[in-house]
Amino acid sequence: MKKLLVPYVIGLVGLVFVPFGVTIAMAFSEYDLINPPVWIGFANFVELWGDGVFRTALMNSLVFAAIAVPLRLILALALALLLHRRAFLGGTARTTAALPAAIPEIAYGLLWLWLFNPLYGPINQFLGGSDGLTVFGRTPPGWLTLPNDARAGIIIMSLFTMGEMFVILIAARQALPRDAYELAAIEDATGWDVFRRITLPLMAPALGLLLVRDTILSLQLSFTPALVVTNGGPPPYATTYISLFVYRNAFEYLRYGYAAAATVVMLLLTIAAVAVQWRLVSKMRL
Amino acid sequence: MAGLRLEEVHAAHGINGVDLAVGEDELLVVLGPSGAGKTTLLRVVAGLMPAASGSVYIGDRDVTDLRPGSRNVSMVFQSYALFPHLTVADNISFGLVVKDVPRDQVRERTVKAATAIGCEHLLNRKPFQLSGGERQRVALARALVREPDVFLLDEPMSNLDLELRVETRAEIKALHRRVGGTMVHVTHDQTEALVMGDRIAVMKDGLIEQLGTPEEIWNKPATTFVARFVGSPAMNLLPGDGPVRPPDFFPEPGWLIGFRPEAVVLGQAGDPLGSVSRIDVIGEDSYVYLSVGGQSVVARVPTAHRPHLGAAIRVGVRRADIHLFDAATGRRT
Repeated sequence: MKKLLVPYVIGLVGLVFVPFGVTIAMAFSEYDLINPPVWIGFANFVELWGDGVFRTALMNSLVFAAIAVPLRLILALALALLLHRRAFLGGTARTTAALPAAIPEIAYGLLWLWLFNPLYGPINQFLGGSDGLTVFGRTPPGWLTLPNDARAGIIIMSLFTMGEMFVILIAARQALPRDAYELAAIEDATGWDVFRRITLPLMAPALGLLLVRDTILSLQLSFTPALVVTNGGPPPYATTYISLFVYRNAFEYLRYGYAAAATVVMLLLTIAAVAVQWRLVSKMRL
Repeated sequence: MAGLRLEEVHAAHGINGVDLAVGEDELLVVLGPSGAGKTTLLRVVAGLMPAASGSVYIGDRDVTDLRPGSRNVSMVFQSYALFPHLTVADNISFGLVVKDVPRDQVRERTVKAATAIGCEHLLNRKPFQLSGGERQRVALARALVREPDVFLLDEPMSNLDLELRVETRAEIKALHRRVGGTMVHVTHDQTEALVMGDRIAVMKDGLIEQLGTPEEIWNKPATTFVARFVGSPAMNLLPGDGPVRPPDFFPEPGWLIGFRPEAVVLGQAGDPLGSVSRIDVIGEDSYVYLSVGGQSVVARVPTAHRPHLGAAIRVGVRRADIHLFDAATGRRT
């Protein structure tokens, strides 16, 4: 039976442990693919500390995670609670909600590039009023040209790909005991009470797990949209997230050591965020 | 207090026209095999399932079209349905809290209900820290705390072991005597029904076969179904002109003779001969299965006096101990 583990172990070592070790080692060296790596100690980290672009990228990533992750979770939960029952067209609605997550990321990005186009994009067409302002009375959002609108755009893009969370939450909701809800009905609990006192606490373990997982994922989530849709801009760095920062430094500026150091910082921050969340989540669990 | 009345209630899952009235301080046990519609009946009363036709009254109120929360009933589920994330105290007070009862009252009534059930020492625990019997108490306390018009108990003891069940059924009966109220208790356990019920409604195929006191159910079963369902082993049912019948008793054609195992008389001269095909020894008593003239008869005898397997023995019954049924309708004649 142990032989069955071999492919898994090879994969784990080759795809996780070795790159992990190499990344850590590279973070302490200078390497440009041409000359052999040179050990430079903490110099990369010192440089990161003073690098304005890195700090912008770091802040962008944190803000993105802080807004996008809760919104994704809330949206997935809301849809799951709305659609978990068998109902007319329920299957169609569930498929619709889950489907965007299955679209290849590049295609998804190109689609949004069109949707967000300020002139002929359907979103601004829809928002537009007759007087050149939107129906809400402000100037139309400049999704690809104004820093905050672009950041919002990346977050909006991330919302529609919560399909996997949605599917997990539907399964979690369907696994809740029916008689708990029947008892609540007999005790005359209203919809809000039922949600707050039964559904939410009983689903807390699943929600907590998804929160942690999505926080980890959020650092990658912003990469493709930032690359394809906004190209890290509007200039200079409005949507340059850490992932894009790493990508640029490694594959465009050939600063592998520097990029590795940024990756390590990102990793440490992720671990810290997950540790905090895990403590909160374990308090909610039984 | 109120009382409960069902009029000609039909519902999905096989409730086929149930008429039933439960008094305001009565403990009614609904007894029947799986699939008889007992739990469905309870769910219709609670409002968890709609009645297809007919009416449900609690006191003078027609609650047929009310949602469960407006009926003022409480229910103990077979699974107890305790909320795993809430303490015992919060579980018990759930119905009060969602009805916005003031906090000090909630506390007071929770403690009172818990004390009545004897689980006040568990108030700060979580359900997973409780034994099956303790969980059941908490579920009972929760049903009690709101002082509902009707208590509905859906096989609340089926998850307890025998000893605890014997104890609990006495406690629930005593509790009912103390607090009063209309209580409907569903079970498939005939002993439980006989011990607990002020009256028993025996159900079969979504209909009430017989409604009566435990004595009536035992002594005057209305149908062959009730006769055989209540009592263990089941009552012997033989054709009236069959081999075993009281001497000088000549039933009309198409009658069935029923008699309980303890009524069988063995070894009396003049009775037909049977052979012993099986013996179940249950401590003091033994159940002796006999084959008489092609019919099977079971007799209860003291274990000390049990016959040998394969022995030939005379089998009879006294006139006073028999029940007569119409074979065509199954009804008592």
